[in-house]
Amino acid sequence: MGKQEMRKELASLSFSDKVKILEKLRERSLVFAEARRRRKEPKDASKGTLKDHEE
Amino acid sequence: MKETFELINQMQADGVIGEYAIGGAVGAMLYLEPAATLDVDVFVTLPSSKSGLLSLAPIYEYLKARGCIEKREHIVIGGWPVQFISPSDELEREAVAQAVATELEGTPTRIMPAEHLVAIALRTGRAKDHARIVQFLDQNAVDRKKLEAVLKKHGLTPKWVQFNRRYLESAHG
Repeated sequence: MGKQEMRKELASLSFSDKVKILEKLRERSLVFAEARRRRKEPKDASKGTLKDHEE
Repeated sequence: MKETFELINQMQADGVIGEYAIGGAVGAMLYLEPAATLDVDVFVTLPSSKSGLLSLAPIYEYLKARGCIEKREHIVIGGWPVQFISPSDELEREAVAQAVATELEGTPTRIMPAEHLVAIALRTGRAKDHARIVQFLDQNAVDRKKLEAVLKKHGLTPKWVQFNRRYLESAHG
């Protein structure tokens, strides 16, 4: 199935079905955001410590 | 999101808000394929207070009393950050008045007409709004005649001409 056809098919779903997909997309975005935050945390913490030492 | 709409409907039944319409990405989803979004935009008409001033405060008080948490410009209802917006002009008021009735797993809700979603996106004018307009057009999800009438009525025709030049004419050669 081509991209355009796939988009048409998704657009023709009922609002309830689209919301189910949206909720899954959102859950996934939140999981990614949390993972990014966790990866970033130790770096920022060490930066903060260095900065504190410099100051 | 069902829980979100149920509480909004309850709030309407209790007279805290008047008419409402879902806008933004969630509203657009009635007409387009689902696209990731993190919040729900709800345009609401408010019953006027004794002073005649319109305020969103009663909405927040009502929801906070039911355990909802305020988070910057949003309030979290049923796990979804919701932004309540009082229509700021005739275009937004018309979008609320002409909202389309639909339902989410048996829960009724109201969504802005496609033409008004496009007109508001055109006026807002961020890159993501322009991308959404292109989606509406690509998927024939908007009635062009109705759209042109809405744009004309609300003084958005010059902006539409500009948008067409920038995005549509260049895309088709």
